[in-house]
Amino acid sequence: MKGPLAKTVILLVGMYVFLKFILPLFTAPLPASLIFLYLALTLASAMIFYTMSGGSLDEFMGPIGRFLTGTGQTGIAGTARILVFVLFPLLVGWQTYTRLAPSDMPPAENRTIHPAPPGEFVGLANPYPRTPENVMMGKGLYAAFCSPCHGANFDGKGPAAVGFNPPPANFSDPGTIAQLQESYLFWRIKKGGVGLPVEAMPWKSAMPRWEVELPDEWIWKIIMGEYDGAGQSPRTWEEEE
Amino acid sequence: MGYKQIFNVLLGLVLIVTAVGASCAFASDPPPEGGAESVAVRLYLTDGSIPANDPNAAAWDALQPAEFKLAPQVHWPDRIQEVTVKSVKVRGMHNGQEMAILLEYADQSEDAADAAAIEFMVGDKMAHFAHGQEMLQVEGGEVNIWYWKKEQGKATDMSAKGFKTLRAQENQNVSATGAWQEGTWRVVFSRPLQTGDEHDVQITPGEWRNVAFAFWDGEIVDGAVKERGSQKAVSSWWYVRAEPPPDNSIYGYVVLGIALAAGFEFFLVRKIRRGNES
Repeated sequence: MKGPLAKTVILLVGMYVFLKFILPLFTAPLPASLIFLYLALTLASAMIFYTMSGGSLDEFMGPIGRFLTGTGQTGIAGTARILVFVLFPLLVGWQTYTRLAPSDMPPAENRTIHPAPPGEFVGLANPYPRTPENVMMGKGLYAAFCSPCHGANFDGKGPAAVGFNPPPANFSDPGTIAQLQESYLFWRIKKGGVGLPVEAMPWKSAMPRWEVELPDEWIWKIIMGEYDGAGQSPRTWEEEE
Repeated sequence: MGYKQIFNVLLGLVLIVTAVGASCAFASDPPPEGGAESVAVRLYLTDGSIPANDPNAAAWDALQPAEFKLAPQVHWPDRIQEVTVKSVKVRGMHNGQEMAILLEYADQSEDAADAAAIEFMVGDKMAHFAHGQEMLQVEGGEVNIWYWKKEQGKATDMSAKGFKTLRAQENQNVSATGAWQEGTWRVVFSRPLQTGDEHDVQITPGEWRNVAFAFWDGEIVDGAVKERGSQKAVSSWWYVRAEPPPDNSIYGYVVLGIALAAGFEFFLVRKIRRGNES
């Protein structure tokens, strides 16, 4: 098992096994497109390396050329060559078909779940102190206005939640309000689904625009009650004193 | 035949198959795992007439329905917290000229104020599913609503772009027929695919359009209609597409692809051979 071509193939296979199976043991799985990019880079590097001189180029391309021209081939090797020559056009044909065949799947949607808020909502602090009374009032308002969809348990599973697409946010999930600042929630509650930017598909969200129904004070207290009830804390940028 | 030759053969095989295989496999990530629920209504292409006024026609039962869950309308007041219609089965067909959509849903009682509606985005501008209400950062478009009510016995073709703008159109070109049987409503809406009216959704076979649904249970409870106006069961936006006629030109391209690949092989081998000879 030597020769530049064999080394390249082994390198590519090894790289693929590493990226696909070994790396995910330590980090999140890589998307297929990224793996493809890395493999293409590896192949390109090998090609550049082996085409530096005429000698190594011959070594690299020689086996491919001998196989394709059928030089000195008999028996199994000849059959395999014919097989490859038949299979390659068929694969191209199949590929053409799958690309052109009409799809029954609607266009892919790529919804941004937590888009950037408008400038006026960045960095606002909750003007109400986190007293037990305020938290309790917030929870009461949450029960009245939010829980039908977001759930009495803050889990996005309220009785009215079933038919929504996208589903109501689950506040007990550490990926939702725990990742956000209070000012972000203030924006989302105040402006609702229709306040979202285009990448968040505002035309699909059923979140009401609560500013037309609730005073700001209630919204800030609802946020307090929401964090408390869901057992999460808002994200902060500075160290707390 | 020596080991070297076998090795060469294997290498050639591996190279060519991986090259083509990789381009197939890596070209796109697989779609994320979804639930069993539908995302789109397919208007099946059929020859001849469609059962535009017959919700119980046998032709409907041959079609695979899409099913969508419904939620109470909580987006704006007056809200409702619980609704009668929890999900809807949707079937559709077209013949290149006319289209029909059948809505099938459970409702234990047949009431005069029972109603159903289909909403579409009009044109290319995205519109909010709540009557195309104004969005703060996006300029939205208009919606076209096909509304059927039992006591009216017909469809009304409507337009809206924001709250309080819902109105019946001047050009009425939608018809609807409902039939209730043993706790199930079947309502069929029909219309030409194209109408030439700028306020209507235009359906072109092969193109995806956005669609949503709404239902009202008109049962009288304590002297009042249970669900009316904004108190209704709604769906979010889903997709609808009229099936395009089969396109045989695809096979021409497939043959062309095969011929090009074979020609490539031929010239490649010839070039290598000539290179070796010289």
